[in-house]
Amino acid sequence: MATFLAQFQTIKNSCDHLVIAVEDVSDLWPIVKNGFEERLPFKRACLNNKTRNPVFVEKLTAEFILTRDSRLRSRFPQEQPLFWFREPYAIVVLVTCEDLDEFKTILKPRLKLIVQNDEREWFIVFVSKAHPNDDQATKLAKKVYAKLEVEFSSKKRERCCKLDIHCPEANFWEDLESKIMESIRNTMDRRVQFYEDEIRKLSELRFMPVWNFCNFFILKESLAFLFEMAHLYEDALREYDELELCYLETVNMIVKHRDFGGVDRGDDQAALLNPENKPLTQIVQDESFREFEFRQYMFSCQSKLLFKLNRPLEVASRGYSFIISFSKALALHESILPFCMREVWVITACLDLINATASHYKDGLLAPDIEKEFYRLLGDLYSLCRVKFMRLAYLIGYGIEIERSPVNSASLSMLPWPKPAVWPAVPPDASSEIFAKEKIILQETLRVKHFGIQRKSLPLEPSLLLREANRRRASLSAGNMFEMFEGRPIISDGSGSDASIKMSPLSPPQKVRTSSISRTNSSPGNFESSIDRPMRLAEIYVAADHALQHTISNPDLLKSLSSIEEFEIKYLDLTKGAADNYHRSWWKRHGVVLDGEIAAVCFKHGNIDLAAKSYEKVCALYAGEGWQDLLAEVLPNLAECQKILNDQAGYLSSCVRLLSLDKGLFSTKERQSFQSEVIHLAHSEMKHPVPLDVSSLITFSGNPGPPLELCDGDPGSLSVTVWSGFPDDITLDSLSLTLMATYNGDEGVKALKSSFAIVLKPGRNTITLDLPPQRPGSYVLGVLTGQIGHLRFRSHSFSKGAPADSDDFMIYEKPTRPILKVFKPRALVDLAAAISSALLINEPQWVGIIIRPMNYSLKGAVLHIDTGPGLKIEESHVIEMESYVDVSQSPADMARSDVAHKDGSLAVDKDFEQLRLHDGRIEFPGWANNVTSILWIPVCAISDRLARGSSSVTPQRQSIVDGMRTIALKLEFGVSHNQIFERTLAVHFTEPFHVSTRIADKCNDGTLLLQVIVQSEVKATLTIYDAWLDLQDGFVHTRKGDGRPTSGLTPLIISPHSRAGILFSICLEMSNAEDEAKAPRPDSILNLRYGISGDRTIGAHLPVAVESPGPEGVRQDLIFRSALVLQRPVLDPFLAVGFLPLPSGGLRVGQLVSMKWRVERLRDFEEEEVSKHNDEVMYEVNANSDNWMIAGRKRGHVSVSTKQGSRIVISILCMPLVAGYVRPPQLGLPDVEEANISCNPAGPHLVCVLPPPLSSSFCIPA
Amino acid sequence: MPEKMIVCVAVVGHQNNPLYIQSFTEADDALKLHHIVHCSLDVVDERVNNPKKSGSPLNETFLGLLYPTENYKVYGYLTNTKVKFIVVTTDLDVRDADVRNFFRRFHAAYVDAVSNPFHVPGKKITSRTFAERVSTIVKSFGLSSAG
Repeated sequence: MATFLAQFQTIKNSCDHLVIAVEDVSDLWPIVKNGFEERLPFKRACLNNKTRNPVFVEKLTAEFILTRDSRLRSRFPQEQPLFWFREPYAIVVLVTCEDLDEFKTILKPRLKLIVQNDEREWFIVFVSKAHPNDDQATKLAKKVYAKLEVEFSSKKRERCCKLDIHCPEANFWEDLESKIMESIRNTMDRRVQFYEDEIRKLSELRFMPVWNFCNFFILKESLAFLFEMAHLYEDALREYDELELCYLETVNMIVKHRDFGGVDRGDDQAALLNPENKPLTQIVQDESFREFEFRQYMFSCQSKLLFKLNRPLEVASRGYSFIISFSKALALHESILPFCMREVWVITACLDLINATASHYKDGLLAPDIEKEFYRLLGDLYSLCRVKFMRLAYLIGYGIEIERSPVNSASLSMLPWPKPAVWPAVPPDASSEIFAKEKIILQETLRVKHFGIQRKSLPLEPSLLLREANRRRASLSAGNMFEMFEGRPIISDGSGSDASIKMSPLSPPQKVRTSSISRTNSSPGNFESSIDRPMRLAEIYVAADHALQHTISNPDLLKSLSSIEEFEIKYLDLTKGAADNYHRSWWKRHGVVLDGEIAAVCFKHGNIDLAAKSYEKVCALYAGEGWQDLLAEVLPNLAECQKILNDQAGYLSSCVRLLSLDKGLFSTKERQSFQSEVIHLAHSEMKHPVPLDVSSLITFSGNPGPPLELCDGDPGSLSVTVWSGFPDDITLDSLSLTLMATYNGDEGVKALKSSFAIVLKPGRNTITLDLPPQRPGSYVLGVLTGQIGHLRFRSHSFSKGAPADSDDFMIYEKPTRPILKVFKPRALVDLAAAISSALLINEPQWVGIIIRPMNYSLKGAVLHIDTGPGLKIEESHVIEMESYVDVSQSPADMARSDVAHKDGSLAVDKDFEQLRLHDGRIEFPGWANNVTSILWIPVCAISDRLARGSSSVTPQRQSIVDGMRTIALKLEFGVSHNQIFERTLAVHFTEPFHVSTRIADKCNDGTLLLQVIVQSEVKATLTIYDAWLDLQDGFVHTRKGDGRPTSGLTPLIISPHSRAGILFSICLEMSNAEDEAKAPRPDSILNLRYGISGDRTIGAHLPVAVESPGPEGVRQDLIFRSALVLQRPVLDPFLAVGFLPLPSGGLRVGQLVSMKWRVERLRDFEEEEVSKHNDEVMYEVNANSDNWMIAGRKRGHVSVSTKQGSRIVISILCMPLVAGYVRPPQLGLPDVEEANISCNPAGPHLVCVLPPPLSSSFCIPA
Repeated sequence: MPEKMIVCVAVVGHQNNPLYIQSFTEADDALKLHHIVHCSLDVVDERVNNPKKSGSPLNETFLGLLYPTENYKVYGYLTNTKVKFIVVTTDLDVRDADVRNFFRRFHAAYVDAVSNPFHVPGKKITSRTFAERVSTIVKSFGLSSAG
């Protein structure tokens, strides 16, 4: 059957659609042809797939071919059922007939003959030519058609349909189509069944010796092709998949050795998308196919179907795995394949696949996440292609152009060298090329990175190419390696050179790097057999170059490898392709990393701007996730770009980032050079001073321990720890630190500035900053800012008391621990008067002020004292200050103060101090900073009023306010006298005594016993040493005494607030004529000479001046004077006013009543007022106008005879206005002194006024 | 015996930051392994973010083969705390069971290491004991199947 292969191929290539045969019995085809062919391709066809499930196929292509057409006629009727797929799927029999007889005799037998072959699907189209107006013809045609139906249609199946040429029935074409479809479906089912049966039969023979893969292949592919023609691509694909699986099984069984293939010219170019690459007949071998070609053929068929199914993603994904697995297969046969065939094939395969899938892909074809997958696959393909391309380039000596980056190293150093059977030899006439390559090698210098960073470059080769190449040469061993190395610059191979130098000829294999593929170096066996000179590196390059030119047939690839420039173009192309596609996929990291590779090329070509942008992306990627090792590789490149671009801000920030990387990643020298760059730039002229974030480099924290606590309004100094990540000392020209209030961010940001330059040592530094007064609240550290030269830097990061961990990249956690607490305003000190009772007025007295600091030091406090009116400070005397033990304090406090006292006598002694007042200010001594102290100030309250006594007749108390004096105190304290406490103290001053008098008795002889009651007003013991009374005019002491009481009375001791009485006997002065000359004395004066013994802590005490030390017993008595008013008794009334009784009926509101007073002269109106008054007396009636209405003259003169006993009645009409007890109107005599009037009743009295009588006129009508 | 070799193991934190990365090559080429591990996070991310695409729902910690490259294999493992373990091996012929077993032991070692009260979660693992234990696990990788 394999012989049919060629035929099969031609047949397959020549047909690509279904065929429908037309049996044109009555020469009708030319008439109906257009109508029929207009139906093609079938818009919607319903076919059965392999599992006999209906599948709808769109746009099914087909062709009508007449049975007499040569294409059908040429075939043998008994054609191989193998090629059944190309046979007609339906037969349309076109007939017409206008006569029943003709039908019976001619047409029917003919038709019977045509349709006798049961294998075929047929149906009859009866074409009626009858004109619709021609009834006769139409009827006849109908009759014939009816006959036809009877003959050929069955109940099971309608096989006839009728086409009226002149007016086709509306549903004819649909009918026709469905009939065709039915036929095609049936035919297909039958054929599929046939193929399946055949395939099953063959499959059963799989493990028999007769098994022939070619036969199986033809059957299987025929079936696949059948499906493909019917647009059942899914089924076709499944067939191919099964076929591939089956093939791989046979390949892997390796019953007999077969050629692999791939040795033909052009085989290096992948043909995985081109099924027509090679005719199958060429690759057939031993009843099967060569693997190299056949697998590609399989894949190309599958991909073709997949593209038809609009699944470029699947092509890419299958393609990628195919390339990988095929590459493995190529590796297995590498020894028989041309040099580097595998790499070249992969490159071309990837590029083909990329181009094909990308061209078939339309945007929006796939769901977004699937689309990402697609781009990822493209990225993978590009990436794979790129790696292989780099490998080829390396082999021909372009390795120096390849960036030794981690990504390149990762892909190349783990990729084994090609393993040809024999490494290509140097062509004979290549000495000039070798020389050129030598030159390139010699010119290569290790590129020193910016900042003088020297790194061992990463390997790009799995093992030393020199050794590998020489080892693979048939005649050479590795024994002579050592001498070979002398011929090449060591630096050209960074990582390899170390190993090679270390390697002594005696121990070659062990020291070789083991990171990559396993290999055994040459055995000692052929050590001696070396005859050939080992190849030098340049020679290897040239040899590889030549071998590759031999291998590669693709002109583009050849061109790309022809020169370094071309290489770079292609390299960039592939890298960009990979990066772009990765960027569109999920694999951002891959994309960004490749951007870095593009940047390297851009940089090399001076496209610094682009390079910087890409490097920035790479750096951001690595920095964002904390891959510091990788970052350290890229960041210097970025910095270099920025420096070239004069991007000072960027450059500085890169330097800072470099400095803040893990210390182990750079040597101290390198780090120092970073720092010197920063400092150099900072102090150079920068056009625009740039802000710089040094959060990762300079971190800060508060000192451990509790936060600094301050009272409201107090300044302080804050000590913070600053960690410097600079390798050397660094001078900060200024530094400031913000504080943030924890409760309110926008309000509480305050900056603390240091006033002087600060030098930060590497590592921990403690810095103290002045803290101005802050608002109450708790504060955390905010931002550290400062200046180095023209550079303003900021740091946001906080260290937790340790150097910032370098991997702390994401954790900029705000410290929750407050560094400063400013308390809400509270009482810090209290000033209070120390005395509880009154002091002596007009005497210098100590007034005590208790100063009680409340958990706050009064260091340097100053007290301003301002006395109010009537009070002055005795400035001549010192002010005393002493510590104060409050008895009312809690026992604990007492104990504490006791301890304080016991601490040392010195301290106790210190607790008393004499101070002077300067401009009303007192400065506090240091010992009083934290203890309660008392300040004694000598003051004197001045009152120029004489104390007045009170009598029982005129009771009169002195108002407390009279003795009140104020002292305004203002205490300035706190660190910078910022705290002020003001208080006005009221101090009560009083006379020592209060005096009251009363007449104790009135003797018959006119002697009056005047009792003087002395009340102590102070809380001190008073001792009266002497007392005398200076009497006023009109009074004299009896017995002409000096006014002192009995001598035995004094000294009289009066306890606080107690009373004592002194009796004076006085009498009225009878004749006062001789005293005319003397100044009139209106008041009597009580004089008391007294002493006082009191405690100043309680109240009144000895006056200050008096207290001065003097000989014991010599006392300085005080004098107290008090005025007394003595009233002469009323002795000579000469007028009597009597209120006459009211009418018995009582008073009523609204009733007029006549008030009557009788004025009577009690004695003769004598000498004194003769001239003025004769007999006229002036009266006046006073009444409360609310209560009374007065009719008549309120005021007037009445004449009363001057004779004793003369009387007159004054009557006034009044009307009471209110009911109740009211004061009646009073009659007064303004001209006469009260003392001369005797009244009856003597004092005020009340009368009763009744309510008005009820009156009907007040009745309110109902 | 085929070379069963783990060239690199890594612990990557839930923010994709390296917590521990150790290469087992003699050459000074750790950086390329950093790169491989770092890039493999792309695949981990993809699997985690698109669990339905990768077919099997992410109900197990073992992520399986991340990279189907020609020359090395990268396996991943994702803990409940989104810490990733990555292994790079040059052995192209690894059995999944071996890798699973390896990761299980590695996970246990990791748990012990981070259970140290002095270890700050999210910081690099500096424990020497952990390093030694990892080294032992790496050395014994694949021995059971080879033997």
